[in-house]
Amino acid sequence: MSAADVLSLDAVDKVYRPRRREPVHAVKGLSMEVRPGETVALLGSSGCGKTSTLRMIAGFEAVTNGAIAIKGRPIHQLPPAKRNVAMAFEGYSLYPPLTVRDNIAFALKSARLPKAEEGRRVQDVAALLEITDILDRYPSSISGGQQQRASLGRALVREADLYLLDEPMGQLEPQLRAILRGRLKHYLRERRMTSVLVTHDQTEANALADRIAVMEGGVLQQIATPRELKERPANLFVGTFIGEPPMNVLETRPEQANGRIRFAIAGGQAFDYAESEVAPPLRAALAARAAVTLGIRPHAIHLGQPRLRARVLSNQWLGDQTHVAAEIAGRLIVAVAHQRVAARVGEEIPFDVAASDLHLFDSQSGAVIAHGGRPT
Amino acid sequence: MARLELKGLAKSFKNGAVLDGVSLAADAGEIVVIFGPSGTGKTLLLRLIAGIYDADQGAVFVDGEDMTDVAPDHRGIGMAFQNFALFPHMSAFDNIASPLAARHLAPAAIRDGVERVARLLKIDQVLAHAPRELSNGQKQRTALARALAGAPKLLLLDDPLRNVDAKLRFEMRLELPPLLRQSGSTVLYVTQDYKEAMALADRIAVLIGGRFVQVAPPDEIYRLPETVQVARLFGDPTINLIEVTPHSAGNGVAVTIGNTTVPIGEQYRAAAGSAALLGIRPEAIRIGAVDAGAIAADVVAVTPLNERLVTLLKTADGHELLASQPAGERAAEADSKVGLQFMRDDILLFDRASGQRLKAANGAGAS
Repeated sequence: MSAADVLSLDAVDKVYRPRRREPVHAVKGLSMEVRPGETVALLGSSGCGKTSTLRMIAGFEAVTNGAIAIKGRPIHQLPPAKRNVAMAFEGYSLYPPLTVRDNIAFALKSARLPKAEEGRRVQDVAALLEITDILDRYPSSISGGQQQRASLGRALVREADLYLLDEPMGQLEPQLRAILRGRLKHYLRERRMTSVLVTHDQTEANALADRIAVMEGGVLQQIATPRELKERPANLFVGTFIGEPPMNVLETRPEQANGRIRFAIAGGQAFDYAESEVAPPLRAALAARAAVTLGIRPHAIHLGQPRLRARVLSNQWLGDQTHVAAEIAGRLIVAVAHQRVAARVGEEIPFDVAASDLHLFDSQSGAVIAHGGRPT
Repeated sequence: MARLELKGLAKSFKNGAVLDGVSLAADAGEIVVIFGPSGTGKTLLLRLIAGIYDADQGAVFVDGEDMTDVAPDHRGIGMAFQNFALFPHMSAFDNIASPLAARHLAPAAIRDGVERVARLLKIDQVLAHAPRELSNGQKQRTALARALAGAPKLLLLDDPLRNVDAKLRFEMRLELPPLLRQSGSTVLYVTQDYKEAMALADRIAVLIGGRFVQVAPPDEIYRLPETVQVARLFGDPTINLIEVTPHSAGNGVAVTIGNTTVPIGEQYRAAAGSAALLGIRPEAIRIGAVDAGAIAADVVAVTPLNERLVTLLKTADGHELLASQPAGERAAEADSKVGLQFMRDDILLFDRASGQRLKAANGAGAS
């Protein structure tokens, strides 16, 4: 923890104790920091603990153990209103008797702005979120997606130490989504706003966040930039959870002989490299292992270049990218290319993966052994 | 395998027409994806073909035979639905066997038929289970297996991947084409997911407002959409649309975006002076250095999207544009100034009032 952090969580636990049922340990020993001006996404599937975490930061849930501080000030025992946090979430809804405009303006009241300035800020955020035409409507007469954006607007116009955003772009039609993501990212960065957003949608997390905290089973698996998560996943869970299409996974048997390192798979084929392609410490790490799980990103599979062979199952052009599925040793592997690929269904095609693109995981624990032929 | 023809199918309910003269000819063994926004009558169309509803007008022909007076269970049709619709009191085996049992096949033949299709769909381990004991993915495979088991002439699949999670939907999208080919059935497949449509279809039939707006192979729909509406339904991010008025420039025709004159080729001469929409897909915009021929823009934000990088840009005259490039390439700096090039061959022009794509003269841009 550093005094310069806007938000810090220190060994936070959340245990729910429902009556007559087993307690649920929703968040386990969570420690993380959010730095000034940073956007951090809490990402995971339902039940991973991300929403409980957000609600503890907001003050809607008590912390079972541990501490939460905002700008160095412990806040986990303060009521929500004393935390100086702006929120947009489900269940923290718009005031029904006020129009969308007044809902957003209400959040500015405490700033005591001149009327014209208040109006300008409401207009700006409404234009950003494409809700200008519903400013004079009441919450009950607009769609769920519009309510969500109005609630987001109300949070964004406020002055606060921290912004908490729950699935901010959840119900958006695809035509608007990409533009609004870009605008929101720009808005947050331009104003140096510090925010935590919660989502189950990795495309949203990747698009908006400076760093992503991947959660599973109440445990923080890894917190890193989107790029680091892809290139250096901490374990097999993160490796296969992050990335669309997902990382290819193959069980292999490492072998070292005659100056070569081979990762043998079922069916007699192997990922076969000269020792010089693989860093020396990795050779040592492999020597004691009978089995290694290989992870390979779809874009790292180079079709048409010799090393291994696979049988093409489908070749799907999606307008801006190709997904080729092929079968090797009874497993499906997927390659992505950004142009069309001349691979016919049913044919055997060669493919290559550079040693530097291999991710190696422990076959039992899923812990990472090495990325890119280099041990971690 | 059968040839399917729909001739002028129309159906309306009290609250208005849903299908308004739908015609289509599908070759034997072809996979045609019926694609469109929700509420456009895709499911209704399948029900008319299956004989669950009668059409007000028009008819369905299978191998040239009018199906109007043929009962649903004699039409040689297999169906699977987004809600699986398995018989809850029957095991997966019995569910899959039901179309075979209805034909009074010998028990050994039924067992062979069920096991063959179950192996293909990787559910041979769960055949004894009741539907409530199956995961969503297994239920969906069981429903597909039941539809395939009878080796129907026509297979009608109503958004079968809708209710399974994203990972499984992706895997099934890759595995389905060979399965469908192997079945030999002529397939009509309904979906609202453009990627699924492009991945599975021999041809896509785009259903909007109760009519097929375009019926064509996926690549043609993507590159040469008939209308703005079709263009916007395919692609992620969606196609960029800019209001322009083409004008003569030297020997050709050009549009002005920001302060930059962008030549769009002589083939659009007929469009000069008209109110048009220029369509350019995000992957057809190249981001480069500021330069005389390029459209000047500010980089608003870079937002990664799966294997690609999406950049939101703003031109001097306030247009917001999205560009998309492979994730491995160098990203533009946020807040920097850049120059944009539109790939000339990928520029589309639409009539602003009707939304119809303007066809280039002498075939260029339309081949």
